Amino acid sequence: MAYQNKKFFNRRKICRFCVDDDLNMDYKEPKALKQFITERGKIIPRRITGTCAKHQRVLSTTIKRARHIALLPYVGKF
Amino acid sequence: MRKYETIFISNSDLQEKNQKELFEKAQNVITQQGGDIIDFDEWGNKKLAYQINKKSHGFYVCMTYGGDGKIVAELERIFRLDDNIMKFMTILKEEVVDLEAEKEKIKNKAETKIETETVTDVDDDAEFENEVETE
Repeated sequence: MAYQNKKFFNRRKICRFCVDDDLNMDYKEPKALKQFITERGKIIPRRITGTCAKHQRVLSTTIKRARHIALLPYVGKF
Repeated sequence: MRKYETIFISNSDLQEKNQKELFEKAQNVITQQGGDIIDFDEWGNKKLAYQINKKSHGFYVCMTYGGDGKIVAELERIFRLDDNIMKFMTILKEEVVDLEAEKEKIKNKAETKIETETVTDVDDDAEFENEVETE
């Protein structure tokens, strides 16, 4: 429980997709999606990037689609 | 008419004739079943992020078309049977499509690309003309 209290008031980041309406997530552009995956290809959790829940769900489906089409790797460097 | 987007990866080792036949086959499937092709974008050879069928390069094509669910089922059936198509993915973009507006949008995008290229050429000519006049 003490661990939870420490992380409770973390930095309150703003979701960059809520702020800027022009940013559209497209699975066909892996360069834009690279910001949201780690070096090993894993999706970064939203408490670190600061995106809101709705956009994180959309983002994860676009990353998974890009992986299916071999524009992003499932595992490994890109 | 619904707007679908299908992206598929075909074998990059194919000869041009066979490639063209393949693409025409895919396009005919759509038009014969009553759909309308909005855009047929060939991206060319790209390196794959992981090996598919032990190949590291593939020829990407992105098709945008309007149609029903039956067209999608038929198209995917043909993709599955063909060995030269390694992967495909279909996404529903919009429920209702205005075909002419979509085609115009794509024409406008292509035109703006061509315009930006020609504008730079025109500027170079103007500079040369000015130099000649001062002399």
